[in-house]
Amino acid sequence: MSFVEVSPVVTPRARRRKILRRRFLRRPLAVAGLAVALAFVVAAIFAPWVAPYSSSATDFDHVLSHSSGKHLLGTDELGRDVLSRIVWGARASIEAGVLSTLLAMAFAVPIGLVAGFFRGWADTVIARLTDVLLAFPFLITAVGLSAIFGPSLTNATLALGIAAAPALIRIARGEALALREEDYVRAAVANGAGDLRIIARHVLPNMTSTLIVQATVLIPTAIIGEAVLSFLGLGVQPPTPSWGVMLSDAQSYLTQAPRLAVYPGLAIFLCSLSFNLLGDGLRDILDPRTTR
Amino acid sequence: MGGFLLRKAGAALVVVFLSSVLVFAGVRALPGDPAIALAGENHDPAVLAAVRQEYGLDQPLPVQYVKWIWRALHGNLGLDNRQLPVAHTIVTRIPISLELALLSVLVGMVIGITAGVIAAVRRGKPSDHAATTLALVGLSVPHFWLGLLAIILFAVDLHWLPSGGYVSFGSHPIGNLEHMVMPALVLGTGLSAVLMRQMRSSMLTSLGADYVRTARAKGLSEWSVVGKHAFRNSLITVTTVVGLQLGQLISGVVITEVIFVIPGFGRLTIDSITARDYTLIQGVVLVTATGYVLVNLLVDVVYSLLNPRIRVS
Amino acid sequence: MTGSLRRGTTIALALAVLCALAVAAAAGARGTASASQLREGGTLTIGLAEEPDALDPTLARTFVGRMVFLSMCEKLYDLDSHLNIVPQLAAALPTVSKDKLTYTIKLRTGVKFNDGTALNAAAVQESIQRHLTLKGSVRASEISPIKSVTTSGANTVVLHLSAPYSPLVSQLADRAGMVMSPKALAAEGANFAQNPVCVGPFMFKDRVAGDHITLVKSPYYYDKSKVHLASIVYKIMTDPSSRTQALRAGDIQVEDRIQATDVPTLQKDSKVSLIKSVTIGYQGLTLNVGNKNGVLKGYGPTGTAISKSKQIRQAFEDALDRTTINKVVFGGLNQPDCFPIAQSSSWYAATTKGIPCNLHADVAAAKKLIQASGLPTPVTVHLLLGGTDPVNARLGQVIQAMEKQVGINVVISATDFTTSLNDATNGQFDTYAVGWSGRVDPDGNIYGFSATPGTLNYSGYSNSRLDYILNGARKSLTTKARDTLYHAAMQVIADDVPLIYLYHPVDYFGVSKSVTGVQAYGDGLIRAAFAAYSK
Repeated sequence: MSFVEVSPVVTPRARRRKILRRRFLRRPLAVAGLAVALAFVVAAIFAPWVAPYSSSATDFDHVLSHSSGKHLLGTDELGRDVLSRIVWGARASIEAGVLSTLLAMAFAVPIGLVAGFFRGWADTVIARLTDVLLAFPFLITAVGLSAIFGPSLTNATLALGIAAAPALIRIARGEALALREEDYVRAAVANGAGDLRIIARHVLPNMTSTLIVQATVLIPTAIIGEAVLSFLGLGVQPPTPSWGVMLSDAQSYLTQAPRLAVYPGLAIFLCSLSFNLLGDGLRDILDPRTTR
Repeated sequence: MGGFLLRKAGAALVVVFLSSVLVFAGVRALPGDPAIALAGENHDPAVLAAVRQEYGLDQPLPVQYVKWIWRALHGNLGLDNRQLPVAHTIVTRIPISLELALLSVLVGMVIGITAGVIAAVRRGKPSDHAATTLALVGLSVPHFWLGLLAIILFAVDLHWLPSGGYVSFGSHPIGNLEHMVMPALVLGTGLSAVLMRQMRSSMLTSLGADYVRTARAKGLSEWSVVGKHAFRNSLITVTTVVGLQLGQLISGVVITEVIFVIPGFGRLTIDSITARDYTLIQGVVLVTATGYVLVNLLVDVVYSLLNPRIRVS
Repeated sequence: MTGSLRRGTTIALALAVLCALAVAAAAGARGTASASQLREGGTLTIGLAEEPDALDPTLARTFVGRMVFLSMCEKLYDLDSHLNIVPQLAAALPTVSKDKLTYTIKLRTGVKFNDGTALNAAAVQESIQRHLTLKGSVRASEISPIKSVTTSGANTVVLHLSAPYSPLVSQLADRAGMVMSPKALAAEGANFAQNPVCVGPFMFKDRVAGDHITLVKSPYYYDKSKVHLASIVYKIMTDPSSRTQALRAGDIQVEDRIQATDVPTLQKDSKVSLIKSVTIGYQGLTLNVGNKNGVLKGYGPTGTAISKSKQIRQAFEDALDRTTINKVVFGGLNQPDCFPIAQSSSWYAATTKGIPCNLHADVAAAKKLIQASGLPTPVTVHLLLGGTDPVNARLGQVIQAMEKQVGINVVISATDFTTSLNDATNGQFDTYAVGWSGRVDPDGNIYGFSATPGTLNYSGYSNSRLDYILNGARKSLTTKARDTLYHAAMQVIADDVPLIYLYHPVDYFGVSKSVTGVQAYGDGLIRAAFAAYSK
């Protein structure tokens, strides 16, 4: 143990952050992922300024028109600007992707923590219930819940969040189970620290890297999930644009205007790819166990 | 071993029971009065009452549940809105989805394992980067969109393949395969991405393991090291991963069947929800959950046979 | 792919081919080849747009089920191509007593059910009684005025009514007039749907749920020489694009209801002819005028602008451009109109004469009406859509865009059909986009929706003058008196706007050119029992 501090300003946490940042910046794909993901988020937030037109401005005299200087990606079956609808559509996707992930986290992490850390009967009940929920595949659960809640973006987000929770509970529980056996946690217990304090100081912080990685995996899944729900008519209400709705609308025009099915799908793809790239990068730098 | 099996089976039984309750409750929570769906255009209160009585919808929920589960235990899932036996409908639809699932798994395994092995053996080389990047692309692509693109290209533009539908293998083998090519490829490539990643990392672990190093030290050829030792060992892991991907596979089958209009089990699920056909939804979802639990049980058992240490925990 | 990106067929083109289409359609429908050119035998496969429900005439509820019944369950009466009622299993139209309470029906003789047993008055009596009394019967309410059924000799049935009921014969030309084999009823009981036996050119063979229904030629049919096909397969193909694909590939020979966007494509296909059928149904908007607590649970103002103000309702209608709706949403293929009775119906001319019908929007008039209503703008109106499919979404968004121009802010709420019916029944809507498959008798298109005790009166509309008119029309039997009464009813509805009628759906059926004799009348049903392959 040395008391010589070379640079007293740099705390261990800040140093770790610096190392992580350097490691992250060395991965061009991850950086690209972050940039594109941020671009989508910015487009979503500032849609009114980014989009050239309103997403619902119809022009019945110019339906299904090709791309032109006026409409970069052409117009759809109601004469609306496709580019603007894609920009506005980012809102639905980002909202569903990010919020449902946060919801799933907020729901699953405490439950998993309690189960894994305290064990006992609560753990048995939670583990069994999680098994029951996991007996329904993610998408089936999301579709069923959206059908029960009724179609709307909020309900789709809720449904996706709830559907994603069981798997997350299991992960959080597993982490907590492993962490409570760690020496420093045992030491804290021996020192008489309270449960809450141990969870807050030792267990939760050590789970964050796993949780962040899970979140970046979950966001693209939820983005595609929102598109699927909207595609099935269980997502946003018209005239709100969503990439899934645009794809569903395009299905009737596959022969006349196949481009209508190309652009929104491309948007879903790029958006989920960017989050996946980001997630892969984060996993690499945060989780040294994975070989790469 | 016997005790372990019994414990696992008991837990599975509890899960199936609880999911049946969940399904039943979930179906009743759906908005919309099924009597209205059943009555068609005629909404005469007398007709609605008659329909409710005929379908037992006027009875208390616990009574409805017990009746349903009791019959289900005897293989009778009741009659749907068309007055046709649900169990029979499910039995006729499952083989279609099973065919799609098996073909997709086949496609997925062939592509995924080959790419995974190549990537692992050529670690860090361009082919590894290409495979890894492609896998990431495969993970990010929404497969229903890929399906639409395939329809635009192969059915609408080139007229090579039918845009959708289904012909049974028995009645028209070539027609059957023509209808299955696009869906199986679309679903299979999605699966291959996951498998490729798994195969690659598992191969890398194996290649670094002691026994492989020993084999190399003994002067065995690279082919025999990779093929006999590392590959075989990784395959076990990948088989388990296929089992664990079942949920994703089922979800994939559902959306693929919707896109390609295949009258399989997945489409039946969506249709039954849209039609508010209570008995049909209950039957379909119960069968899904039971199947899922059974396969998971099977994976557990197989895995424990392969790796005895698991049983202790 | 880039090639296809440039190959865009616009809706304008769809419009352009329409005229040519109508001609081709007429030829397709009536192009019956002479008997010598027909081939005996063969299987006709029909791709149905929906799945039929129970194949039991007493329990059946779906529209598409009626198509299957047409080939295997004949009725006492049928419709001809002009939708006039003609005898089928009955020998002639019924003799009606002076007090309009007794209907005497003579039966055709020498008719056998498809199990070889004979059709007689007792069998008809049993079927009608089953319609009236079987648990879950959907027919009971259609023929509820029938008090009792008696027979007079082996071949005459007498129906005794509790009150005059002019739509009775048209009901007997539908499922309520189907006669089931007493032998099969005794054997199958409530499971009749799993093996139905009636009188018909074809008889039931098998059914695989969600996939197909197979019928084979009947050896017992009384007019067997007219039947050429060996079997008919009804294939359930709910996806419109794949139905079209299957027709073009030759997998099916007849396509039920082609989606608008596929019509131009099929028009160019030399192996296919199209049959156009203007249906007797309508699509429109139901406005919630007084449905506060639910249908049949009392009428009263709901407090919304739509309920409060007739001007707002009229403005809502004036803002709608029926022609544009038809063009943008349906590729111009439907028939825009302002009335519940179809133009193809013999009732149309007399009952709508002189009532203004503007197929284009009148934005200025709408704005004036809103001003006159005195309500603050923008007026918010909720629109309930009975389906989350792209067509419904298109309809909703087009309406929204049109109303925006006059200062009405439409908020769309799209949900699945069942839930929407629930919301409509409970009065949880302002406007509801819903249609009606249509009935031959005007009563069936008006009474239930606008009369005070109407079971489909989602509007919650109660107008004593209209009730008086509609009840009077039910009781009077002369066409002239009913013409006058329904004309008056239409005037009331057009002025008070509890419903806005937008268009009559036009169905397009595709038929392979290798087949002749497939027909579709205004009831929108495919009639294929007497079709044949050409040599």
